[in-house]
Amino acid sequence: MDSPAQTLDLSRWRERPLGVGYRRWVIVVAGLRELFRTRFAKFLLSVAWSAGLMIALAGFAFSQSLAEGGWLQTLAIKAGPRMEAMFTVVTGLVAMYPDVLVNGVFTAVFWAHSYLGLWLSLLALSSVVPQLITRDRSSNALIVYLSRPLTSTDYLLGKLGIIVGVLVLVWTGPLLVGWLLSMLFATDRDFIVYSFEPLLRALAFNGIALVALASLALGVSALVRRPQLTVAIWMVMWIGLGTVAQPPRAPAWIKRTSITRNLNEVRQEFFRLDAALTDAGAKLPLLDQRFIGNLNGAAKKAEAADFDGALLGLGVMAVLSSWVFFRKLRPE
Amino acid sequence: MPPVLPAGDCIIEAAGLGKTYGTQRALRDVTVQVPRGTIGLLGPNGAGKSTFIKCLLNLETPTTGSAKVLGVDIRAANRASREKVGYSPEQDCHIAGMAGCEYVTYCGQLSGMPFRQARQRTHEILDLVGMGQERYRLVDTYSTGMKQRVKLAQALVHDPEVVFLDEPTNGLDPSGREHILKLIGSLWRDLGISVVMCSHLLRDIERVCDRVMIIGHGRLLEHDSIVGLKARHRRIVEIAPARDTERFQAAFAGAGLTVVKLSNGKLRVESASDSIEWVLELMRTHDLPPAEIVSNPDALHELFIKSISADHG
Repeated sequence: MDSPAQTLDLSRWRERPLGVGYRRWVIVVAGLRELFRTRFAKFLLSVAWSAGLMIALAGFAFSQSLAEGGWLQTLAIKAGPRMEAMFTVVTGLVAMYPDVLVNGVFTAVFWAHSYLGLWLSLLALSSVVPQLITRDRSSNALIVYLSRPLTSTDYLLGKLGIIVGVLVLVWTGPLLVGWLLSMLFATDRDFIVYSFEPLLRALAFNGIALVALASLALGVSALVRRPQLTVAIWMVMWIGLGTVAQPPRAPAWIKRTSITRNLNEVRQEFFRLDAALTDAGAKLPLLDQRFIGNLNGAAKKAEAADFDGALLGLGVMAVLSSWVFFRKLRPE
Repeated sequence: MPPVLPAGDCIIEAAGLGKTYGTQRALRDVTVQVPRGTIGLLGPNGAGKSTFIKCLLNLETPTTGSAKVLGVDIRAANRASREKVGYSPEQDCHIAGMAGCEYVTYCGQLSGMPFRQARQRTHEILDLVGMGQERYRLVDTYSTGMKQRVKLAQALVHDPEVVFLDEPTNGLDPSGREHILKLIGSLWRDLGISVVMCSHLLRDIERVCDRVMIIGHGRLLEHDSIVGLKARHRRIVEIAPARDTERFQAAFAGAGLTVVKLSNGKLRVESASDSIEWVLELMRTHDLPPAEIVSNPDALHELFIKSISADHG
């Protein structure tokens, strides 16, 4: 009887293997493909991109305020002389104070979007966390990765890529595309110039959140071998510690254990919504004292109260998480 | 001591390789040069076989010594040392939520194969290991035998030059075992893929491998070709007569040979040579009825026991 290898026309593969970048990319794609097979993830994706579309629409509508004969002006004229007068005032203010209004409005839009983006990312990561390292440890699949031409660093970078992919798809992507679309139809260069800084702030916050979430997700995922337990730990880290950190009189060190609270502090510091509101109250004419007082009050609330402590908390979390996932992976 | 081989001919070159876990020495000063071919790795449980393989694959960091796989230093060139290596571990190692076909393709891609080639070879390899339509089912739903096959497939998908197989026939039914053993045997013979096979089934090793390494207490006790090992072993002939067992016994005893009757009715005789010509001659002379004659039936088993006992001693 022929041997199995002789009875089959087995092609040989003697080509040069693709590089390590490709192999890491394969891990990323496989992880994301698996995640977005689920209805839950598809739902999150649709919410995220709807929000991106809302940014685009909001930016587009705002930019129409400077469009002579644009649809916003036509609507105002149709609504009566009062609306037309209001439209003329707003147009005038935007034209005179683009640094305050364009910057301020986009800061507020991106600030609001960062809440949704972070929340969607945390939800998506709840599904991803067990798939990152936990499952590979429990099913011994880690051996399959590490017995191939991949190091544990490559493996971790691949898994990190999955988290980056999730955040890009549910947060950064909609934010950037929303801004780009709104700028495509912008009627004035000022919209691009004065919305760019808020965009950079939003992206910087996005980057900080990415590092914090990625390290925590990898750490939690590497901690135990049971997927259900991993999800439970993730929920405790997110919702449990978030709740504990809520009371205003809670000790600072307890507050700093919450990733959502720490990121909230970083958000306030990065977006500087307080500065935008104070600026608006100080620079814009035609505002009565009560309205200016409201703006200043809102600015006070939007101030970061413990930015350094929050950064310290995030740093400690990242270091501890890194220690966990490097320790739990077999040596190279 | 086997002669020093040219570097290109070796799949494994280890020099003083050792691994310690706390106070326990799992691997002690293993120095060996293993030529290409099909090599069996034998040893009792906890002898250090798997540790040896894991050290070679960098899954465990050796505490002492150095090693090269296919001429590539495992520490100096970590990734490159595994580029042309396949590994099928003893335990399950599937990725949950993936179909068999998808899993093997993914493993091919992890070794640097473009998707299209990986998918094509996946189907060929899955045919080779004897998997049919089950390949489209989730690996989580596979029986032990099917998991074993898919594990072998992932080790072969990227066309490695050497493949490490840890207990590859565990959990397979007799026909499945037969198929996989034939396949393993043909890997070197027909495809030029060297095999290092770890098994506690000595008959599987004897049947498939042309060389054997015996490891005990973390030490390399024996390393030689099967032929070489058998030549160093006392020669035994096992005879299963069709009838007249007593006449056989009498004939051997009359020739001055030590004969032992086994519980299964077979006769075991110590022989002076590997040839069985003298048995046939004796049967002709005494007009004995036909019998099944097997030379050195359990040579490897006896040698294994002897090596392990010597190590204990």
